Amino acid sequence: MTDALEIQRVEYAYSRDVALRGVSLGVDAGEIVAVTGPSGCGKSTLVHCAAGILRPQAGTVTLAGRNLAELTEAERTRVRRTQVGIVLQFGQLVPDLSLKDNVALPLLLEGHHAAAARRAALGWLERVGVAEDSEALPSELSGGQNQRAAVARALVTGPAVVFADEPTGSLDSRAGEQMMELLVASARDGGAALVIVTHDNLIAAYADREVRLRDGVVQHEVRLS
Amino acid sequence: MATAELVLGLLSAGPAHGYDVKRGHDSWFPDSRPLAFGQVYTTLGRLERDELVEVVDRASEGGPERTVYALTAKGRERLARWLAEPIEPAPGGVDEMVRKVVATIRTGEDASAYLARQRAIYLHRIRELKSAEAGGDSSSWLVRDYVALHLDADLRWLDRALDRITEQKETNR
Repeated sequence: MTDALEIQRVEYAYSRDVALRGVSLGVDAGEIVAVTGPSGCGKSTLVHCAAGILRPQAGTVTLAGRNLAELTEAERTRVRRTQVGIVLQFGQLVPDLSLKDNVALPLLLEGHHAAAARRAALGWLERVGVAEDSEALPSELSGGQNQRAAVARALVTGPAVVFADEPTGSLDSRAGEQMMELLVASARDGGAALVIVTHDNLIAAYADREVRLRDGVVQHEVRLS
Repeated sequence: MATAELVLGLLSAGPAHGYDVKRGHDSWFPDSRPLAFGQVYTTLGRLERDELVEVVDRASEGGPERTVYALTAKGRERLARWLAEPIEPAPGGVDEMVRKVVATIRTGEDASAYLARQRAIYLHRIRELKSAEAGGDSSSWLVRDYVALHLDADLRWLDRALDRITEQKETNR
């Protein structure tokens, strides 16, 4: 099976604070991986390196077959926009844009025609169950509805990998479960691999495999499916 | 297990025979061991003796005779009292997993490798409970939530155990 993501011996430090000490991780196309561990273990840093947001100081990240270190800044941005979807704890939608425009945004930035981008956005909003709120602003809707739109935005470009960093952190437990079911189903539907960062065992249980970090190294990997 | 009180609860919706009681129990607790027929009839017999249930009909309809039981006022009162009564937390005994971790440390085995294996089994079980949940009714997901949250508590205890072991190793170094 082809790797959607290949991380090799990645190291990262924030000034003197070492967050990752040589972490390797491969994620197959369509696979769901939970990156777990106590707070401060390096899991968010790992995902930021994997998504091309942070540049690791050592090691390589290969995303959808492209080694990020060998790309120009413009190429990296392009890979990030087309091959990576991101869902964060609080949706992080643009407050002044409707749900539909928020979801269309990654396509508009890639130069798609506005009408086609909005059509695709509406299609994804339908799949995640908030199509009837497509013209509403994020502030007019609940946290759960915003998170659904964030899932649609993460998948609209047909990315190779969706990274979800504590995606249920702002939701109560029942809404969190519904969110996870939606995220897993949407990733499968869109053919994307899903990397979930969580400290919550009940969320990690949705994954095919758990990779547990501790003090910036992989403590263990276990298969769950 | 409070089988007698559960049987009273199962009869609270109206008169029923032993087979209905057994079926009701198994649908309330689909992930538990099914209630044995023998246990149902022994329990109903005891409840009748104590005047908590009474026989209201003996129907045969061509087949074997079926005794229909109903709650008595005394039975209803007993059920209400049982439902209202909080239960004491379980005594602080340790289960096999705790014993195993202690033994792992005492014998100098690799506790973190044990943790990984235990995590895999528990997370896998939580995953099974979650996938079963989709089709279940509300009482079955209540039971599954209970099991999943207890497994989560055990996993968190394992993490804490590992933290303590690691700290101790670092202090001893």
